[in-house]
Amino acid sequence: MYCVETRELSHGFAGHPAVLNSINMQVPTGSIYGFLGPNGAGKTTTLRLLLGLISKQQGEIMLFNKTLKGNRIEILKQTGTMIESPSLYGHLTATENLLLYQKLFQCQRSRIKEVLDTVGLSNTGNKKAGEFSLGMKQRLSLAVALLHNPSLLILDEPTNGLDPNGIIEIRDLLKKLNETLAVSIIISSHLLSEIEKLVTHVGIISKGSMVFQGTLESLVNKQQQNASLVVDTSNLQLSAELARQFVPAATTGNGKLIMPIPAKETIAAINHAFVKAGIDVYEMSTNKKDLESIFMELIK
Amino acid sequence: MNNSFINCFSAEWIKKRRSFSSWLVLAGGLFVPVVSTIIFLVYPKQLMAIHNSGHFWEGLFQKSWQLMAIMLLPMGIVLAVSLITQLEFKNNTWKQLHASPVSFSNIYFSKLLVLILMLLQLFVLFNAGIWISAWIPSLLISEIPLPMYTINFGYILRENASYFLCSLPMVAIQYLISLQFKNFLVPVGAGLALTIGGLIALTWKYIYMIPSSYTALYFLQSKDNIAPAHDLQTWSLGYFLFFSLLGYWLYISRKVKG
Repeated sequence: MYCVETRELSHGFAGHPAVLNSINMQVPTGSIYGFLGPNGAGKTTTLRLLLGLISKQQGEIMLFNKTLKGNRIEILKQTGTMIESPSLYGHLTATENLLLYQKLFQCQRSRIKEVLDTVGLSNTGNKKAGEFSLGMKQRLSLAVALLHNPSLLILDEPTNGLDPNGIIEIRDLLKKLNETLAVSIIISSHLLSEIEKLVTHVGIISKGSMVFQGTLESLVNKQQQNASLVVDTSNLQLSAELARQFVPAATTGNGKLIMPIPAKETIAAINHAFVKAGIDVYEMSTNKKDLESIFMELIK
Repeated sequence: MNNSFINCFSAEWIKKRRSFSSWLVLAGGLFVPVVSTIIFLVYPKQLMAIHNSGHFWEGLFQKSWQLMAIMLLPMGIVLAVSLITQLEFKNNTWKQLHASPVSFSNIYFSKLLVLILMLLQLFVLFNAGIWISAWIPSLLISEIPLPMYTINFGYILRENASYFLCSLPMVAIQYLISLQFKNFLVPVGAGLALTIGGLIALTWKYIYMIPSSYTALYFLQSKDNIAPAHDLQTWSLGYFLFFSLLGYWLYISRKVKG
């Protein structure tokens, strides 16, 4: 069951190459979906299309199993948003900013205090939003997104401008919302490291195309598949021949023996064979690619 | 009026708190009365002349409207309307507003209603200011008699209603232009060009077709007690409806809404 689904979603701006090419996004209900990609990959355009901020050109957009067209208001009643930089009225206080959205969302007035407490802005008093630091503005924008108790949050780079403590706090808050209230969250970022501790699912977009989509586990498995064992010996040719008896895929490169990581018993047997053949083993190490480098490879 | 529209309107009303446009309404409404008060204090004979005219309130009303109708009101509308729509551009809030569960129609018409009510606020302040500008000099300078004349409320209301109607096309036109451009200077420049153009063309035989001149035109007709060749109020209402609906169509047809 998906709370957000797009089918063959494509979009382009007049006179420019297509920004999005046949995006098939599937956000499972109750998940935290990390939407990743470098700057200019099409993340914000996709999110703006989901919210109807840009007219759809091709494809289909479904939120809560309903098409955006004809169900916009009903869908937005269940959706909290924060797109790109903070959208706040600089001449109004935090409470006044929330008060006007409380009118638009038609939710309880008591929610204003609750969300201000949640994002740690309850003591800003008469200070105007225009005088806030970027981090405070991000928190207030998040408060706006949370105001009407949405069941889906669409957050475009919400930790921009936050200090490390602020990032951890927001991450914990989003986790809590997801775990306790089952809020589905789409969170975009250009850094995998920033959200890998938070997300359950990942969609990676590059140059307007979705290059990976799945659970975080499946991305981790991809990482395991790409890992290799590297062995530096005194006799490369002989050691390669011996190693192939255990791991047929063993190859050589950069003066070293390289093979997919075998079971630990096999590693011991290979090492034993080398010693028996009088080959000195200088180094035996695994060359694991971290998630970040897999991400970088995907978006190349 | 449905609940959603009322809530949307309330939100729009909150936005104008402490905004420059609401200060502009206050300053715009009281500017002429304050200047008149100072003039009457420095040159009491001017107020005495109005006292001696036999139609004190009508005379003071006409005198106060002179500068207001010809220049200040159209320019004030240009600035105030542009500033209200500029709130969304300047604060980068269109996207958040358009991602809220309210219809685009409610957003458009609640903003328009805020503008109309601000215009009404300006008229109330201006009229109160006219009344005060008669009393302060009379209380401070002993030679000036107190303005204890009966106020012809029918006349005052009629004239205000006419000026109000004549102002509406400019509100709609300026609102339409301001919604189209992010750069504040574009709507302000266009609005001022329309206002000045209208003043330059005041003697043109087809001037009744230029809505930016209507308040000035109405003042001239009213001052000289000329029977109008064209019903400016009807033209105003027509232009207001036309530009409001055209603005609405352009607004909802925008492909990028934030």
